[in-house]
Amino acid sequence: MAAAAPEKDKYKVHKLSLKGSAKLVAEFFQYSIHTILFQRGVYPAEDFTAVKKYGLNMLVSSDDQVRAYIKKIMSQLDKWMVGGKISKLVIVITDKDTGENIERWQFDVQILAKPKSKPSSSSSSSSSKTPKPTTTTSTSTSTNQENTPSDPTAPSPSGTPGVEKTESEIQSEIAAIFRQITASVTFLPQLSGDCTFNVLVYADASSEVPVEWGDSDAKEIVNGERVQLRGFSTASHRVDTLVSYRLQD
Amino acid sequence: MATASVSTPLKSHAGLFSSRTAGGRMPLTPSPRQRSAQGNTNSSPFTPEKLSGDSQRASSKSVYGGNLSSHFAKASSKGHRDSPKSNIARSVSTPRKVLELGVSDFTLTGTGAHNKTPVSPKIKKAAAPLRQKSTKTTLTYNADRFIPNRGASSAIANVGSGKLDMQEKQRPRSGNGEASSILASATDDAIAALEGLNIDDEEPASYSRPSPSSAAYQDSLASACGVNVNTRILQFKPAPPESSKPIDLRQQYNRPLKPANASSAQFRRRIATAPERVLDAPGLIDDYYLNLLDWSSGNQVAIGLERNVYVWSADEGSVSCLLETSPDTYVSSVKWSGDGAYVGVGLGTGEVQIWDVAEGVKIRSMFGHDTRVGVMGWNKHLLSTGARSGLVFNHDVRIAEHKVAELVSHTSEVCGLEWRSDGAQLATGGNDNLVSIWDARSLAVPKFTKTNHKAAVKALAWCPWNMNLLATGGGSYDRHIHFWNTTSGARVNSIDTGSQVTSLRWSTHYREIVSSSGFPDNSLSIWSYPTLVRNVEIPAHESRVLHSCLSPDGQMLATAAADESLKFWKIFEKKAGAGAGVAGAGASGKASLDKQMTIR
Repeated sequence: MAAAAPEKDKYKVHKLSLKGSAKLVAEFFQYSIHTILFQRGVYPAEDFTAVKKYGLNMLVSSDDQVRAYIKKIMSQLDKWMVGGKISKLVIVITDKDTGENIERWQFDVQILAKPKSKPSSSSSSSSSKTPKPTTTTSTSTSTNQENTPSDPTAPSPSGTPGVEKTESEIQSEIAAIFRQITASVTFLPQLSGDCTFNVLVYADASSEVPVEWGDSDAKEIVNGERVQLRGFSTASHRVDTLVSYRLQD
Repeated sequence: MATASVSTPLKSHAGLFSSRTAGGRMPLTPSPRQRSAQGNTNSSPFTPEKLSGDSQRASSKSVYGGNLSSHFAKASSKGHRDSPKSNIARSVSTPRKVLELGVSDFTLTGTGAHNKTPVSPKIKKAAAPLRQKSTKTTLTYNADRFIPNRGASSAIANVGSGKLDMQEKQRPRSGNGEASSILASATDDAIAALEGLNIDDEEPASYSRPSPSSAAYQDSLASACGVNVNTRILQFKPAPPESSKPIDLRQQYNRPLKPANASSAQFRRRIATAPERVLDAPGLIDDYYLNLLDWSSGNQVAIGLERNVYVWSADEGSVSCLLETSPDTYVSSVKWSGDGAYVGVGLGTGEVQIWDVAEGVKIRSMFGHDTRVGVMGWNKHLLSTGARSGLVFNHDVRIAEHKVAELVSHTSEVCGLEWRSDGAQLATGGNDNLVSIWDARSLAVPKFTKTNHKAAVKALAWCPWNMNLLATGGGSYDRHIHFWNTTSGARVNSIDTGSQVTSLRWSTHYREIVSSSGFPDNSLSIWSYPTLVRNVEIPAHESRVLHSCLSPDGQMLATAAADESLKFWKIFEKKAGAGAGVAGAGASGKASLDKQMTIR
């Protein structure tokens, strides 16, 4: 325990527990959804109001129904995130008339192997909890390697856990992602016609699924172009962003 | 293995064959290409097969084997062009085992399959498109090469995925138009071969189902296959809400995120948020449905306080009590005539009186309503009165038979009524949540009846710079301001204000509209139009703002609230120098004289 205590202290300095990190990632998702809805014109710009976040003016929908909808998604996402059940979050923009998937924003989540972070929780109840995250880690890591072998922005999936980041560093990484999402409007094809969106989640087979959620296909873009955007990492999570879109004929 | 494979292909063969041939493919020139094509088709499924053979997928393998053999059989049958065959045998050194297999099949099937051979000449075309890549090498059987190419991307690394990829590749080709055209021209054999491929594909396709086929997604495909085992893709099933705006605003990329004049402080108009003047209004009835405040063109403010009507002169700051009703009733509405000489007073009994303010005498009483008259509006010599019964009467105040029209639309108390400045249209709003827009020339039925509001509509305002634009505000359960094109009847904009809208006034010289709020805000909000940005929100009163009116110069807003106070706000002040002359009459004169003024 003597050894564990300093660990714990050190950990506190960096203060993002697994739980806190999950929360941060979930919050990032929430703003991502809002930002994408705004930037891609799924809802009219008038519906959005600016909110200061990550040192940026984030545009958040002020439409009650949209907010409620996203809130419902987020409430479940929070639980999954904390449980480490999620490997991807996907926002698919679909043409309302044809039902065709036009654009697909994918956020890959990996839970970083972080044995050192465990002590904080292990002091209370470690044995039951520890295995779960570890297993998910291994699967999701391998997933990611297959998926994005050439990802330039993910240089250190294994290296990051060692490097502790301050919260402001994380925030600036996130801000950079949002800047990129905003900037991506310049190369993404203009959406024409009415569009709607769907939220997909790649969850553990073992996770509990509330009734609002059902199995789906991946809604990949057929013959799509893919662009890897930035990612960010916290002490226990790494998130990578990828947008794929339908090429214009 | 060989025998089994032989048998399967034969079956598929026949079926495909017959159906395809029926399609009437066109014959084309025979050539080495054709052979190569076949070789290609054969080999492509074939090689992966071999790879996969090592891997765990037994089922797929078997399928493949069947195809393979079938292809081979065909190839061989065509193969009366023997040279290619021999080539094949030589070149295909790597997949040796399979090759031999194929050969053996070939030999076996050779006799049986013969019938197909005659057709062969046409194959070439079909083959050609398929194998653009492979054609580079002269050997017809470069199929092997072909495979490595694809595999190079990622398939080879991952055996399972590799196979999928192959199929993917094949399938889109055969599926799309180009492929079909090719097919059309191909010989039966070629068709059969292709078909065989397709069919085979179907099976394995089920594996890859989770990831739709697409060349660009090979990687994700592969990963998806790997991931599938222990993850589920979940979708949030409820449909996302429809976008609320009736107009498609998809062209938003070209506009700034926020309108420049609303967002950046240096462009924003400075609006005084403190009242210029506060007067007591004791006894002001706290009733949303009444209209007890009006400002005349002669710069006099009339306010109804219980049984009295007071007139406060903004020029002189003097207050006078114009009238006191009989004790059995109360003042339910006041309205100045256009010239500012007369004030109409509606009473709780349904009586409407017209007073000459300068003389302080009543000119006439008009009867007709049997319920309280909560709202009135002048259009020259016409006085429109809305009553609790839902009826609206037009009175010609010059003639004895004053009632000239009865406007029947509302089924509940009328609390909003506004003539357009040119007198051509009249808007009324009622406790039945309706907004009715009337054409002055035909008052039998409303021109439009709008049901969008979800609560009583008291606040109505015609836009001074756009005659066709009407703003309407709903009550507590509605909280919205809707903007209408009164020519087309279309709703052009909406604002959710977040609280009861008790009155609306357009600025006469800014592109703005001010709304007063009831619970919970009790505030004044100034909105830019058409951007609908809230420029400022002024916490105006301690309880709900009931009435508002603009000064004749358009700079000052008077508000009366349930906290029994009357406040004057200089919210539309003209820029310095711009309108000093006009402003002088109302504002400066008032400022100098206000001191001794109080109502009462």
